[in-house]
Amino acid sequence: MSQLSDQELLNARARLPQHVVHRSFVAETVVLNLRTGKYHGLNPTAGRMLDALEASPTVGAAVPELAGEYGLEQERIQSDLLTLTRGLLERGLIVTADDDAA
Amino acid sequence: MTTPLDGRPGAEGEGRRTAFGIALSIDPRISIPGLGQSTGSDTADRESQIRLDDDGELDRRWQALTAAPTRARELRFGETLLLSVDFAEAAGYLLWTRDFGRVLISPDGLELLCEPDPANEDWASILAAQALPLAATIRGLEVFHASGIVLEDRALLISGPPGAGKSSLAAALVRAGGRLLSDDAVALQLDTDELIAHAGAAMLQLRDVEDRRLSEGERIALGRPTSSSEGKRRYLSDGAADPVPLGGLFLIERSAAEPAIERLEAVDPFALIASTFNLSVRTPARLRRQLDVVSAIASHGLAYRLRVQPGVDATRLAAIVQAQFAVVSR
Repeated sequence: MSQLSDQELLNARARLPQHVVHRSFVAETVVLNLRTGKYHGLNPTAGRMLDALEASPTVGAAVPELAGEYGLEQERIQSDLLTLTRGLLERGLIVTADDDAA
Repeated sequence: MTTPLDGRPGAEGEGRRTAFGIALSIDPRISIPGLGQSTGSDTADRESQIRLDDDGELDRRWQALTAAPTRARELRFGETLLLSVDFAEAAGYLLWTRDFGRVLISPDGLELLCEPDPANEDWASILAAQALPLAATIRGLEVFHASGIVLEDRALLISGPPGAGKSSLAAALVRAGGRLLSDDAVALQLDTDELIAHAGAAMLQLRDVEDRRLSEGERIALGRPTSSSEGKRRYLSDGAADPVPLGGLFLIERSAAEPAIERLEAVDPFALIASTFNLSVRTPARLRRQLDVVSAIASHGLAYRLRVQPGVDATRLAAIVQAQFAVVSR
């Protein structure tokens, strides 16, 4: 999945596979891969982005809402969101909807 | 061979007991001091059976494995292996501890087959210290490496690194009227939205140097002295406390400042995860539960920082903790 272009990734739907759970804490979101037993910590902004990714039909669709929330330009949010999405994909913490590996 | 379990009343350790939230049926030849009487209110319906291996059954089961077991945990002092846990899906968890022997815990936690080290008459202490927390974890409870005291019908858990003063503070709180859940490990059960604390073995261990500072009356308040070893004096409480709701988990932090208690609004979840006891059970169900329990502690506002000065008087610290806990746990 890391080979997707930015545009392909923005058009893709991201979701958590069944073996990944997450819980939000005040200053951190903990993402747990139940297959590997590995915990990952996300700062509050990344945690909010993960929530937005889960709720949005595509990665790109999450951008306007997040930009509004944080009062930032969409380009900036899109760049950060793509970076986070690629990081989560590489760690197997999210998959794109058409990924059979889930 | 199956050891008959007749449940006769009698010596300590016989019959139906409870620890870490699971009901136990114990071979009459095994004595595990400090366990509570089973009241039928344990979280799990079925008893876990603890029995002696009389005829090499443990070895037969382990040697019959067709797949190699995996090393789930080991503890070393330098080059010396002190403890190991091996897991095999077909046979369960094999706990080995130097000088204590082996315990094979079935994959469902319902059977603990014991092969004691015959040279150690105190071998059964490993059951309360390691094997039962492991069995409880397998059976669905989350065990915390913490001292636990019941104050005002709420459980106060005290967690911190080794030598932080957990047992000393627990002993001081018992002297002040608290009831002991355990001085080393307490099980938490997430019941709908409430966290319930279950006692382990109601045994306190105090360093000799600290024990010598106590008056006779203070020692009596701790319970019945049972044994001394490795520079520690053990006291057996009258009985383990009944399960109670969790009132707070206090994380000890060394500080040069005066003792103080502060609610952790933004608790580090990894600090809570690190306070859990068992590292051997890594099943998805357990990992999810561990995260759920930690999340519940944080979302219920039950995590506190307890700042203590090195060498602070435990009796004075207990008075501060007791007063603060009465306020925050309501």
